[in-house]
Amino acid sequence: MTILLHNVGFGLVTASIIALASVAFSLQFSVTTTPNFAHGDILTVGAYAAYGAQLLTNNILIEALAAMVGGAVIASLLNFGLVQPFLRRGAKRLTIFLVTVSFGWILQDLILIIFTGNATVIQLPAVTLQHVGPFLWTQLDEIIIASTVVILALLHVMLRYTKFGTSLRAISDNPQLARLAGINYPRVVQMTWAIDGVIAGFAGFVLAAYVGALTPTIGFSFLVVIFAASVVGGLGKPYGTMVGALVIGLAMEISAGYIPGGYKTSVAFAILIAVLLVRPRGVFSSDVWNFAE
Amino acid sequence: MIVNYVVTVLTLAVIFSVTALALNVRWGWAGEFDFFVYGLLAVGAYVDAVFVLPPVTSSDVGVSYVLGLRMPFIVGALAAMVITGIISLIVGAIALRQLRQVYFGITTFSVVLIMSAFVGQYTALFDGYNGVFGLPQPFNSVLNIPYFQYGYFFLAFCVVILIVVYLVLERVFWSPYGLVLRAIREDEIAAAAFGHSPYAARLKAYVLGGMIAGLSGALLVSYLSAFNTDAWTPIETVLIFACIIIGGTGNGRGVILGTFIVFGVILEGTRFLPDIPGHPDWDAALRAIAIALLVLLSLRFRPQGLLPERHLNDGPTGEGVWSRLRDRMSRNAEAPPS
Repeated sequence: MTILLHNVGFGLVTASIIALASVAFSLQFSVTTTPNFAHGDILTVGAYAAYGAQLLTNNILIEALAAMVGGAVIASLLNFGLVQPFLRRGAKRLTIFLVTVSFGWILQDLILIIFTGNATVIQLPAVTLQHVGPFLWTQLDEIIIASTVVILALLHVMLRYTKFGTSLRAISDNPQLARLAGINYPRVVQMTWAIDGVIAGFAGFVLAAYVGALTPTIGFSFLVVIFAASVVGGLGKPYGTMVGALVIGLAMEISAGYIPGGYKTSVAFAILIAVLLVRPRGVFSSDVWNFAE
Repeated sequence: MIVNYVVTVLTLAVIFSVTALALNVRWGWAGEFDFFVYGLLAVGAYVDAVFVLPPVTSSDVGVSYVLGLRMPFIVGALAAMVITGIISLIVGAIALRQLRQVYFGITTFSVVLIMSAFVGQYTALFDGYNGVFGLPQPFNSVLNIPYFQYGYFFLAFCVVILIVVYLVLERVFWSPYGLVLRAIREDEIAAAAFGHSPYAARLKAYVLGGMIAGLSGALLVSYLSAFNTDAWTPIETVLIFACIIIGGTGNGRGVILGTFIVFGVILEGTRFLPDIPGHPDWDAALRAIAIALLVLLSLRFRPQGLLPERHLNDGPTGEGVWSRLRDRMSRNAEAPPS
């Protein structure tokens, strides 16, 4: 029972990282309706931006800020330089998907050129394990969970109570109608990509800090887990995605108590495939979870 | 030495042309966004390996794999095609039911990752992350070609296989079934209204593509004489997609051309660049970037590829010389006696 509870605790940490990465992914999908295959590489860029900042300063807040800025710049670049020009020419969804595949590929290799393929480490203050209720967490784990809750709460406030959030939800619900209602469509889409990049960059930083080692493929190998959480929650539905992340994170860590840890990510993929086959629009596709309402 | 290098790259380009033709059946003809093809290449490689390799003996410490039948290459390759056909049938029967486009891509992508994790962890099957190695050279127990000439022989053999696969696929492409398949790709509902089952036609294409991918896997493992989980990462599938998109989606000749262009970039692309100390991977990364840029440029300026897919009136049943001849003969035959 103790082991199970500890695994649930680890699952909550994993779920937090997945939630950050996949909510950003889902938010971007809600306005572009194309999965961004380069999303994992935006995480990587964020992590390496933090690593770059670490070479200059030792302040963990500045590192986190660098990760967010790095992610936002790359995501905006992808939207502004590639996705929008292709969309203007009437490209199909699959073409956009292939464009993001190529962009991610380029990012990965650019990072490989600049930072080499050797694993690097983001230095963090020393942490110790401590009991928090039934769970066993380090200070790092607690920070990860707390910052996830804060970021998701901020996102919620932004989506619900600001003009921008209303525009975003309107576009996600019906782009044509939103345009007719006078919403500045390109600007909202560009802003959404930037926010996607901010959250994804931070998620990359957190992922690298949690895993301990940083390689050019860290984000790409996390991509299917992100897909899994987003699909379980319903693609393009940030609130469903948060629940999806919780399901996937817990399933991955709890399963590790019963089957070899090497199969951890396979569990996430198996859930993904099962959901796609049974409920392709996500488990939470009912109106309660509908993001636009 | 440089000749050996060229033979190596040519052989790999020919083998991957077969893989690209397999993916072209699924992606070019049927329009499925399939990431599974590289997983099937891996299955083909492993199956061929365990058919060809000798059984594990007690002296092989730390090595374990199933079977070990010491069969000739032909049997291994046929077994690879049968097994990959069966796996394609199972995966296709489930995945093709309702998944389309990007969702199909995500699903097949995950299936490959699960397979890779399973093969890596479960060492009794194909020796886990170490993989299989030490395969004998195909046919060489009979032919006894010296080591340095064998490369030429195997290249010629692969070229023959590529030509056979190409010709078979051309037949299928112009057959009524090929037409139905492309009709379904363009407009599924219209094709169904004409009485064709989209599901059955797609599944057939999926199995056909899978078997060819398995064959290319058998060729690859015979050439490399080793195979492990590092050899099939998702990015390899993206490379095959790049070959098809650059060369011409749906056109067999275009796909082969695209594969040779991509391998040309790999061969010649960065030959004159200096080494940078401390950055050992930089020229390989630069070549990958060049290929990705080629894909982006293709998608932007020539989405149909260098050699676009041919249509009914470009082909043997349309304006071609044979059909004109056939038309003339039939006209003569039908002409009333004067």
